[in-house]
Amino acid sequence: MSTQSPETYPRPFGEVALPYALIAPAIVVALAIAVIPLIYALYLSFQDWYLLRNPQPVWGGLVNYQALLGDAGLWRAFWRTWVWTIGTVVVEVALALPLALLLNRDTPMAKAASALILLPWVMPFIVLGYGWRFLLDSEAGPIHALLEAVGIAGNSSILNDPNMALAVIIFISGWKGMPFMVLALLAALKSIPAELYEAAEMDGASHWQRFVTITLPSIQNTMLVIGLVLGILAFYSFDLPWIMTRGGPQDATTILGISMYKAVFTDLRPSYAAAISVVMLLVLAVASFLSLKLRRRQ
Amino acid sequence: MTDNRLRDGLLDAVTLVALILVLLPIIWVFIASIRPDADIMTGGLIPTRFTVEHFLAIFARSDFLVALRNSLIVGVVVSICTVLIAVPASYSLSRFTYLGRDFMGFLILATQMLPAVAVLVPIVVLIRSLGLTNTLTALTFTHLALGLPIAVWMLKGYIDAVPRELEEASIIDGSTQLGAMFRITLPLIRPAVIAVGTFAFVLSWGEFLLALALISKTEVKTLPLALQTLFDPYSFSWGEVMAGGVVIAVPTVVLFLLFRNQLVGGLTAGGIKG
Repeated sequence: MSTQSPETYPRPFGEVALPYALIAPAIVVALAIAVIPLIYALYLSFQDWYLLRNPQPVWGGLVNYQALLGDAGLWRAFWRTWVWTIGTVVVEVALALPLALLLNRDTPMAKAASALILLPWVMPFIVLGYGWRFLLDSEAGPIHALLEAVGIAGNSSILNDPNMALAVIIFISGWKGMPFMVLALLAALKSIPAELYEAAEMDGASHWQRFVTITLPSIQNTMLVIGLVLGILAFYSFDLPWIMTRGGPQDATTILGISMYKAVFTDLRPSYAAAISVVMLLVLAVASFLSLKLRRRQ
Repeated sequence: MTDNRLRDGLLDAVTLVALILVLLPIIWVFIASIRPDADIMTGGLIPTRFTVEHFLAIFARSDFLVALRNSLIVGVVVSICTVLIAVPASYSLSRFTYLGRDFMGFLILATQMLPAVAVLVPIVVLIRSLGLTNTLTALTFTHLALGLPIAVWMLKGYIDAVPRELEEASIIDGSTQLGAMFRITLPLIRPAVIAVGTFAFVLSWGEFLLALALISKTEVKTLPLALQTLFDPYSFSWGEVMAGGVVIAVPTVVLFLLFRNQLVGGLTAGGIKG
């Protein structure tokens, strides 16, 4: 192919420009929806822009970052976001590992189940969010009835209980993300050579010993890397806690995504919200760096 | 042998129970959408009577129909544009070597990793300053970012797998490089093109945050926003809200099951937007 051969003659401009022309629209989209907004967010975060006081942004230096450090509610949201993130990933692993082991078989049932198990991942947040609100509704919800019967929920929905709401939505968040982990673990499990198990069986290793010495070491890297990816996703959650509780009751489910949204649309402080996004991005940068290091080691 | 079969049978039974437990919340949503409201409130867990009244009720609401139309318009346009942009871009990444190629490939992939929450403020401010708040144009354009990066990287993988020799033969026969792409490569990767188009549609169809931030007027609302409207705190019916949820869920589930193999490939290849 001419474009691949060593340069022995100057190529016509059209030929040089063709690959750039082909990729240009995709680059325009990436610039417009990712790069420019990112730079603009950084710029906005140094502005002083409170729509009720100064409708036009003015240079504010570090004013937003100073306010951010002294914002006790935001700090609580920050720590809550870590609880949310780690909790979500723990639920995802706890649900996905037994499911993946169960589905790692060649029966028609296991194959059909491997497909259907993906449904929580595929369905939009808005459907599942309202679905769970129905299930936990104090008058109509079947799961609420169950929780009431065993004494976990009282008369009103568990979503109205400031001590329980976060835990419940963390569980739902983990339930929704779990299929992605199942998918990854299944792929990892299928790549373990059967001879390893046969050899261990001949040596008289029990099921548990085989699991601990063969299965777990073979899938732990996948678990780490996918756990990190799912953790990054969870860190930036907005849809589920917003749809289910709007961050309440009493801020009990307000994570950073919700603080950021409220800073723009409730408090009308876009520049402050931009500073929150910048801080969240710094966290993403650190997390991605860690994830890359893990991938390298793998 | 019989021992193995017994074990498989037992594990299959456990699998079935686990699957039902995991999917129970979703099954309940579907069931509630076809039960009379009186039964949902007091009729116990096992449905005895069925009705289509909730679906008739929501399809009689003009705001819901408008939202359905808007979601279809945005989804279809996003799907077509994603394909039109991703096919040439992936072809460029796969078939040419040029200065900046790897960086541009990385830039497109990085867009995928960027969460909507992180760029929401600047996007809202920029779209407001362009005067495009409450327009489907703005929503469509931002929704392009949802499926495009996966589309480019999935299609690149498929084009990589098409032997160059096929195109070269066509070029020797007098076709241009682009002609060879259209006549030879594109037909071969058609299933993948359809899959990424579908994927882009599904992602746009269920998208909530950007719609919430950019749209507030009834006439430009999409279905996820309309579902919130159905949830009117003073006079709402769980049956209708669940029916609305089913209307949003069904295309997603059907298209997913149809294109499962390609999509699972795309998901594991690094696409991680949920």
